[in-house]
Amino acid sequence: MASVPTTAPESAGKKKKVEDVGQIPQWKLMVRRFRQSRLSVAGGIVLICMYIIVILAEFIAPNDYQKIEADYQYARPSEITFAAGWPGIYAQQAILDKENFTWTVETDYSTVYPINFFVEGHSYKILGLFESNIHLFGVQAPAKLYFWGADGQGRDIFARVLKGGQVSMSVGLVGVTMVIVLGSIIGTASGYFGGMIDNLMQRTIELIQSFPTLPLWLALAAALPREMPVVQRYFFITLVLALVDWTGLARQVRGKVMAYRSADYTAAALAAGGSHLRIILTHMLPNALSHIIVVAALAIPGVILGETALSFLGLGMLPPAVSWGVLLRDAQQVQVIMLYPWMLTPGIAVVLAVLCFNLLADGLRDAVDPYG
Amino acid sequence: MSVAQQPSSSAIPTSAPESAAPEEDIVLEVQDLHVYFYTQIGVVRALNGVSFKIPRGKVLGIVGESGCGKSQTSLATMQLIPRPGKVESGKILFREFNNQEPIDLLTLERNSDEMRNIRGDNISMIFQEPMTSLNPCYTVGDQIKEAIILHQGVDKEEAHTRAVDILRKVGMPNPERIAISYPHQLSGGMRQRAMIAMALSCTPTLLIADEPTTALDVTTEAQILELMRDLQREIGMSIMFITHNLGVVAQMCDEVAVMYLGRIVEWASVDDIFYNPKHPYTILLLRSIPRLGSEEHIRLESIKGSVPDPYTRVPGCPFHPRCPSFMPGLCDVEEPPETTVDGNARHTVRCHLYT
Amino acid sequence: MVNFLIRRLFYMLVTLFFVSIIGFALIELPPGSYLDSELQRLRQLGGNLSQSQIRSLEIRYGVNDPTYLKYWKWVSGAVRGDFGESFEYKKPVGELIWGRLLFSVTLAFSSLIFAWLVSIPLGVYAATHRYTIPDYLITAMQFIGVAVPQFLLALVLMVFATTVLKQEVGGLVSQRFVNAPMSWEKFWDFVSHLWIPIIVISAGSTAWLTRVMRANLLDVLNMQYIQTARAKGLKEGVVIWKHAVRNAIHPLVMAIGGVLPALISGEVIASIVLNLPTTGPLLVQALIKQDMYLAITMVMFLSIMLIVGNLIADLLLAWVDPRVRLE
Repeated sequence: MASVPTTAPESAGKKKKVEDVGQIPQWKLMVRRFRQSRLSVAGGIVLICMYIIVILAEFIAPNDYQKIEADYQYARPSEITFAAGWPGIYAQQAILDKENFTWTVETDYSTVYPINFFVEGHSYKILGLFESNIHLFGVQAPAKLYFWGADGQGRDIFARVLKGGQVSMSVGLVGVTMVIVLGSIIGTASGYFGGMIDNLMQRTIELIQSFPTLPLWLALAAALPREMPVVQRYFFITLVLALVDWTGLARQVRGKVMAYRSADYTAAALAAGGSHLRIILTHMLPNALSHIIVVAALAIPGVILGETALSFLGLGMLPPAVSWGVLLRDAQQVQVIMLYPWMLTPGIAVVLAVLCFNLLADGLRDAVDPYG
Repeated sequence: MSVAQQPSSSAIPTSAPESAAPEEDIVLEVQDLHVYFYTQIGVVRALNGVSFKIPRGKVLGIVGESGCGKSQTSLATMQLIPRPGKVESGKILFREFNNQEPIDLLTLERNSDEMRNIRGDNISMIFQEPMTSLNPCYTVGDQIKEAIILHQGVDKEEAHTRAVDILRKVGMPNPERIAISYPHQLSGGMRQRAMIAMALSCTPTLLIADEPTTALDVTTEAQILELMRDLQREIGMSIMFITHNLGVVAQMCDEVAVMYLGRIVEWASVDDIFYNPKHPYTILLLRSIPRLGSEEHIRLESIKGSVPDPYTRVPGCPFHPRCPSFMPGLCDVEEPPETTVDGNARHTVRCHLYT
Repeated sequence: MVNFLIRRLFYMLVTLFFVSIIGFALIELPPGSYLDSELQRLRQLGGNLSQSQIRSLEIRYGVNDPTYLKYWKWVSGAVRGDFGESFEYKKPVGELIWGRLLFSVTLAFSSLIFAWLVSIPLGVYAATHRYTIPDYLITAMQFIGVAVPQFLLALVLMVFATTVLKQEVGGLVSQRFVNAPMSWEKFWDFVSHLWIPIIVISAGSTAWLTRVMRANLLDVLNMQYIQTARAKGLKEGVVIWKHAVRNAIHPLVMAIGGVLPALISGEVIASIVLNLPTTGPLLVQALIKQDMYLAITMVMFLSIMLIVGNLIADLLLAWVDPRVRLE
């Protein structure tokens, strides 16, 4: 740092800031840089909110996501009214069209049913642990609260999107965890030991990258028996997504490790009799960690989109499990969307989640490596 | 002979003083040039009232440490100051021919046809980094031809012949082959020769050379300097030679302007700068170069401190925080005016020691 | 150059060999076979089948052969252009897929061209007008373009085309032209159907390429040779398009390798949603129904598309960049 003994006093403040840049730890600098990109911070905050909402899905949703209501097929989203000075809705009811003999759902504007908070309803378990029957809000029967309308079987889309988010939003995290484990182990081994191992790993990676992504996912997912229990299928689908995605991370880690391998401190550690494992764990992985996190964050949107696409095509999660892709499968026909546009709401959820992850990852990358 | 300039940094006499000799033929006259950079952190005052003249057929050296504004002066002359920089005020008067009414380049639109016709035709430029100053995607010949076709309106074949000629002139072995080579196939010295060829392809009135030899090794540097000197005499052009190397200045220049923090602190003939330096900064600069024949084991002196943070504005004389002859109460308060030295109108200095 | 090409072609064959083994193993992986579902269907139709009937079917389909034998049968046929027979369609695989493959290649290729045609000017504009409102808009569009799943975009565009443009969507030509002979009208109808799949397939890639282009051009604009070009007195347009863009294209060509898998995946999924007669819908059906020869052949061809595409990208790079070409 340049130091000028007698410059003008106005430079003093700046000097102080410059000096402390040299003293604070690396990670704090990264946090500082990350916080400068407001869009990324906003993306992160929205994501945290989405995760909280999704975890508390059953508490927040007024209806049971699986309950079939024959009277409310394709019911419109409830109209919220402030006519009573308090948010309320009108009831909808199924009416038989006597000319065409079809049922349509119509809104009855005569009575307002106020929305109440912390009402009792069906019982549920949050995270499979806490049992309760209190819901954040609800209305009195016979009205039913459909924030985002109902699907072809009268199931509440709001509840289904929230519940589906549990799969879709966690697939990203679980999948990326698998990617990190696979990618860092293989990448580190490849970069650290070099030679035959490296050659073999690199050829394997090239081979995997010679398959187009989606057809490979499809082929792998098609290999899963269709009768699997939901949890098992969830795990395998995530594994399928991770199996294709780890190659990028492995390459990055390999490059990093190779650079560290030739660094003096590694030679020093080897000379001091450190074992390979110890050198990798104490010297290399911590150094590569920030890069691993960034690459992982960049991979999450791909995993989420992958699950959605697979489920949409009927090869990922299968009903009765719900995920955003499964829900969008009901909106495959243009006619359905034109008549009942609210069937596309899960799509908005997907876009929002992926968008926020992209923004977040972008900010993280700039924070870790401003010139990269 | 030009007259001593007014002791104010802002006002330059527009009316010719009576002592101005009619034979004085000035190619480029920069008057009170201010260039500011508006960055997010603050305003950087890159040039704070730079004034100088380049007579026809002469070489003016501009010397100073990194960051003193040498390169910005040259870019301002070409109207190529990069964003967020802006020419705040000043005049850059250019005369292509003797006795011609001067054109103020700053009144021309940056990308106007007039400005572009001057750029590359009347004033051309050589940059510091020969490795990156040629476009890697086109052959050397194509890049030279581009300027010839643009400014001289000849067809492609004629342009090619001229490009090969100029390559031969700058001492390229086998110029026909060089013309169809890509830059990455040439060495640094060859590339700089190619750059010089490109700059001279339209026989400019003024050549701006921004540290043209800094990136080259010593032998190549000597060859390039000799080449430039020879071509300068042959074509009779003027050169604005920017460098931080005083050895190069002694070899190349007729007159020298020493810059510090966006101002010219001393201007004199090359002999006066070396044998009769006045400004403490010039003196210190000269002491920091090694000399042959000086007593052994004498430590080279360095100038204490370094160029201050560009965002701050140093009150008074910009050099006072580092000056050995600092006079408290004067130097840090009042900016020294430009004064002539010993009645010699061709030697001016900005320092309170001489007011 | 010739050496490079020969080496690359040889390497490509080796890759394809391994791709075929892995692909085949993958498709053989699920328990059961096409015969199981076929038997179920036959039972529903006409009561019980005798053991000997089942046996003869098993032999006909060769389902009990060991995997390596099946692989050998398929691969030895494949090199002679015989890809086996589809169980479901009872037709040779080659006959089923050639037409569809042609459409797939056309779609993926047109989408790549479209992505380039859109992303280069957008990227150049964004880079030369940095921190202006259009630049921010282009950046925002990039983020959204990457975030929207392709099938969702396809659905939304279909709704848009039907409601706003009153256009018949789905398929590659309108109903009335399906069996009509080729004519200008039919061709025009085909083109008007093409825009939705092309936008759907290329949206993500366009966004990504625009981003690459903007970043590269910003780097290039800081290079010394751009100042050199300006100092020559060239027009700003010439400086940008002749000197800067030419150098910024280079990473864009390298990015083809990264974009191709997305384009091919996009082609598969867009075709399924838009019901286009390309490989996509057939591949998904074949995978679900375990129509193995059909499935493996299509996976192979999609991989070939990717590998050949990468080879073309490499050749293009050598053509664009003299530094690569002359090494």
